[in-house]
Amino acid sequence: MQTEIAAATAHISDQETVAALRRGDEQTFRDLFARTYPMLKRVARGYVASDAVAEEIVQETWMAVIAGIDRFESRSTLGTWIFSILTNQAKTHCARERRALPFSSVVPMDAEEPVVAPDRFQNDDEAWPGHWATPPRPWQRPERRMLALEAREHLRRALAQLPERQRLIVGLRDVDGHSAEEVCGLLGLSQENQRVLLHRGRSRLRAELETYLDDAVA
Amino acid sequence: MHSATPSEDGHPAGGFSVTAHEVTCQQFVELITDYFEGALGPATQSRVEEHLVMCDWCVAYADQMEATVGALAELDDREAAQPSEGLLAVLRERQRI
Repeated sequence: MQTEIAAATAHISDQETVAALRRGDEQTFRDLFARTYPMLKRVARGYVASDAVAEEIVQETWMAVIAGIDRFESRSTLGTWIFSILTNQAKTHCARERRALPFSSVVPMDAEEPVVAPDRFQNDDEAWPGHWATPPRPWQRPERRMLALEAREHLRRALAQLPERQRLIVGLRDVDGHSAEEVCGLLGLSQENQRVLLHRGRSRLRAELETYLDDAVA
Repeated sequence: MHSATPSEDGHPAGGFSVTAHEVTCQQFVELITDYFEGALGPATQSRVEEHLVMCDWCVAYADQMEATVGALAELDDREAAQPSEGLLAVLRERQRI
């Protein structure tokens, strides 16, 4: 978020962005809105059940930002301030929907199932226990071409179907390109839990692509 | 190979512990994200690297994970996001102040 805002306003400081928003500069606002939208919506979507409500939360957040910009005192960065408004809005919706907060301590981490089916590895009574019985087939040129084209839609759908927290972390890290430190800081998540969610999400997406590409080239 | 002995740096891999001897393929697939993220202890890191030198299949697996992460970065997830008319109206109010 702070990176997005910094990137969106690389040529001007936080202070200048705030001044531009205060005088209602539409171009600065539209740029900032568009650049931060995917991240804000992704985080909001972690709290609520539908894309539509998440979109509503982003719009409400900006409404509160514009309404409150005169009171912004630069005690935090602009990005941190906007993000705190977003999470407050999202938490309110979350409570209204009677859902558990996505990263609250009462929500257990996702079940510790193996990320690759155990039957793809040799058993203890085989020659090389724990080593591949059904190894992955290296992706060659046809698979890589498909990955750049039609498999992308499949990946997009698979990402949308990941469990909420995995989808949020994979989205922020791998789609939006935020660092582990940024994601942990913004979501109040430990590095270890962040890596567990990233691992499970990425591994599931790899498996989805493997099945899709194996079927397609068979 | 699937000993319950803790590893030198105590790093668990999918319910297994990595022994001083060898990382199995089944352990490798659980360690790969920590490996990519540079989060393994030095002893486990060495075992993982030794395993990759010897196991073409796990190299293929790691390559698939990298290709997956690469494809995610290429996902055009940037929706054509527009502020609502209501939002723009409130912003334009400020221009009159």
